Amino acid sequence: MEGWDPSTKSTLTQIPLLSTKAGPRDGAPWTQRLKEEYKSLIAYTQMNKSNDNDWFRISAANPEGTRWTGKCWYVHNLLKYEFDLQFDIPVTYPATAPELELPELDGKTQKMYRGGKICLTVHFKPLWAKNCPRFGIAHALCLGLAPWLAAEIPILVDSGMIKHKDDAASSTES
Amino acid sequence: MDDELLELQRQFEFAQQVKSSIRLSERNVVELVQKLQELRIIDFELLHTVSGKEYITPEQLRNEILGEINKVGRVSLIDLADNIGVDLYHVEKQAQQIVSDDPAFMSIQGEIISQSYWDSVAEEINERLQECSQIALAELAAQLHVGSELVASMLEPRLGTLVKGRLEGGQLYTPAYVARISAMVRGASRGITVPTNLSVLWSSLQQLLQEMEGATGVAVDGSLFQYVFNGLVKEGKILGSLRAGVHWTPSVFAIAQKESVDSFFSQNSFIGYEVLLNLGIPQPIQFLKSRYPEGTALVTMFVHSSLIEMLDAAAEDALERGGWIDTVSVLPASFGPQDASKLLSLCPSVQLALKSNNAFIFGESYLFSSRFIKDVYDRLEKETETFSGSGLSSIMLSDETRCGHDSSRLAESNEVASEIGSNKQAVDKGSKKKRGKSSWSMVASASESGLDNQEHFPTKSKKNQRKGKDNSSLQVSDSRGAVKKESVKAKEDNLNIPSEEWLMQKLRMLVPDFEEQGIEDSETIVRPLANYLRPMLINSWKERRKALFTENAERMKRLMDNLRKKLDESFLNMQLYEKALDLFEDDQSTSLILHRHLLRTTASTIVDMLFHDLDMHNKLKNGLEVEESKNSDLISLSPGEGTAIAKSFPGSLSNRALAVVEALEGKRVETFMSALRAFAEESGLLLRKLDKKLEKTLLHSYRKDLTSQVSAETDSVSLLPKVVSLLYVQLNHKALQAPGRAISVAVGRLKDKLEDSAYKILTDYQSATVTLLALMSAATGNEEDCTSDRILSKRELLENQMAALKGLVLGAPQS
Repeated sequence: MEGWDPSTKSTLTQIPLLSTKAGPRDGAPWTQRLKEEYKSLIAYTQMNKSNDNDWFRISAANPEGTRWTGKCWYVHNLLKYEFDLQFDIPVTYPATAPELELPELDGKTQKMYRGGKICLTVHFKPLWAKNCPRFGIAHALCLGLAPWLAAEIPILVDSGMIKHKDDAASSTES
Repeated sequence: MDDELLELQRQFEFAQQVKSSIRLSERNVVELVQKLQELRIIDFELLHTVSGKEYITPEQLRNEILGEINKVGRVSLIDLADNIGVDLYHVEKQAQQIVSDDPAFMSIQGEIISQSYWDSVAEEINERLQECSQIALAELAAQLHVGSELVASMLEPRLGTLVKGRLEGGQLYTPAYVARISAMVRGASRGITVPTNLSVLWSSLQQLLQEMEGATGVAVDGSLFQYVFNGLVKEGKILGSLRAGVHWTPSVFAIAQKESVDSFFSQNSFIGYEVLLNLGIPQPIQFLKSRYPEGTALVTMFVHSSLIEMLDAAAEDALERGGWIDTVSVLPASFGPQDASKLLSLCPSVQLALKSNNAFIFGESYLFSSRFIKDVYDRLEKETETFSGSGLSSIMLSDETRCGHDSSRLAESNEVASEIGSNKQAVDKGSKKKRGKSSWSMVASASESGLDNQEHFPTKSKKNQRKGKDNSSLQVSDSRGAVKKESVKAKEDNLNIPSEEWLMQKLRMLVPDFEEQGIEDSETIVRPLANYLRPMLINSWKERRKALFTENAERMKRLMDNLRKKLDESFLNMQLYEKALDLFEDDQSTSLILHRHLLRTTASTIVDMLFHDLDMHNKLKNGLEVEESKNSDLISLSPGEGTAIAKSFPGSLSNRALAVVEALEGKRVETFMSALRAFAEESGLLLRKLDKKLEKTLLHSYRKDLTSQVSAETDSVSLLPKVVSLLYVQLNHKALQAPGRAISVAVGRLKDKLEDSAYKILTDYQSATVTLLALMSAATGNEEDCTSDRILSKRELLENQMAALKGLVLGAPQS
């Protein structure tokens, strides 16, 4: 579990683990898996809220629950930077981790694949594989997106690649 | 769609909608507080706890401190800081404020203690005190972990209220206990009748207490006793006086003391300080002076004026009578000589007499009238005159070594004088400038300036030569005089004549009263008297001696001149005779006889004369009266006398003299001669050596003398040696002194030199003389004896031959 900061790790251990191993094409087991996903997401969300560390909103974009959209944000220098978040559940799920996308930032940073998919650390994949099928979406967010945001947003803001929306508005107005 | 899934979806939705609780980090809060303080919203001092997690206001802190204090009544600041969790600095600060605000609290050694605490402690103490009847403050202080002073200051306001007892010298006592102690003290101090050091009394009381209470009894401090005692004295329950805080003199004792002093003094009209000291009066003089202003303080006692009057009367009486008194004998027995002398000096009559030199005080307590002393002095002077004759010789002996030195010094000074003489040319220069200087410096300057002067003043020296001569000779005599004077002075310094012991002995003899005093007393009185008289006696003695010296000096000079002359003469003769002995060197026995003869006759005369004169000279030099011996030429000393005189000579001279005497007894003339020479040198006489010219003249005179003697000689027997001597002079040019026994040998020696006829005459005469002498010695003195006839006939025969013999000698020069 090296490669993450201690708070991330402690948070990760508190997210309830999943048990059902089913992909989107597995029918009823997937439904079961989806329920577990929700439970773990609820627990993670509550945990974040209670720690005053709420940083995303997601919801299933289709009834099967294979596509998810929402928002994620990061506070830097007392300014909240908010981005659209979207990802699909791959058919090989849960053996393969979902690819998280931040389309707004596509082309703005090197730590990103085409289409806004974020690059994860080298440690992520082995850990995920090791913990299949116990890790779910919540774990992917916690281990993947949260550290990425913490690492990349300050650099992007400082380099001027992204601007706070108030600033952007005022600049356009003028 | 599954309901459950929907439900979960909704739940998730809901969970995401829930407002997240807002959490502030500590950092934010601290910043917030800082901000508040900056904005003056919090305008009071805010403290924080040691952990740094809490803020606390001073009021809260104070409240908490008060709470802690009120729990026990006594709290250490350090404990407070721990308990409240606030830094000690703030705790102290607030505690100070609390203490200053509220008089019920006090801060002592890092502790805050309330009055209520002390009240409870005092109650405890009281309980214990009632149990034990006494507690030491130190003990309490140790128990409470505070200073004993603090305990005392705390207890003092509570004594009599909370604590029923009294504090004394670091001890707490119950009133009952104090009452008991005061009873003890009262009893003890009433029992004392002599002056006592109170601390001794207290220690004995302490011991008593300890015995009564056993091992549990705590030692009572002396100060309690003292306190109780002082109280009793103030109340007048015990009588007496306290000095220096510890010396207690009961009034009973003081009264007894005064009474005894009074009675003694009024009875005896004096009192010794020792008596007062025995009575316990530490400063007797002040005491007596204040008590009896009319009295007088002496060294060891105090006397009433009546005693002085008494002594005054006695002294006056003694002075009028022209006698003396021993004041000690007049005064009571306890008077020492010091007191007596002090008292004596206080007597008005004695003062008067001393002022007018009518009285003298010796040995502290003896008073002599001047008349008495004059009388004694006169008598002593007479004694001394006789003493100089008799007793002096012994003193002379002791003084002789010194005389020897003097004589040698005289010789030295002679040398110096001669030196000066040789340098007179130089001296006259020096003397002109340095006339005032002493002789030795003159000599020095002379020797050093001698050459210079000759070079620098060749003309002047001639001119001043005469003058210089006078000068130098004058100075020489001066220097000699100075040396002499010096030696005399030194001698007189050394001369303790008459000696102190002798004087004391004489005094005792003269004044038999002294003897009555006993030996010790007489020593004390006679010695000072003798000391007083001695300088006067010595003065008179010295004057007489000085007179004698001047007289003797003349005589000494004469004597020495005489001696020198005589000695010269006889010594030359002696040398002359000695030469004749050479003729007989080969004949052992005859030479021996001749040597002896010479020693017995000429030599012994020389020695006797020398010894006698030197002895006389010595005596004169020491200032003795010596009657001029008329027949100084005819002195003959027995060997014993000779040795005695020789021994009486000082120092090395004596040794030399003894050697001479010994040589005189010997057999060789040469040894004698050398001894005599040494002796003469030592005694400062110069012996002249025989030289050719002198020998010739001497021989000539001797021959003339002999010739006249021979021609005048009528005695046939004594003619022979003279003729023989004359013959020796004529033929051998030697003066022979031959005894009768050696005549025959002497005659025999002449055989070669004389004509046969002349020799015949000589031998005949000689043999005839021998027979005559033999007959004479054989003669019994009997008139009828035929020997007398034969003697007569022989004598006639000799007388007949005398002419021929005379012709032999007297005619020879003519022929």
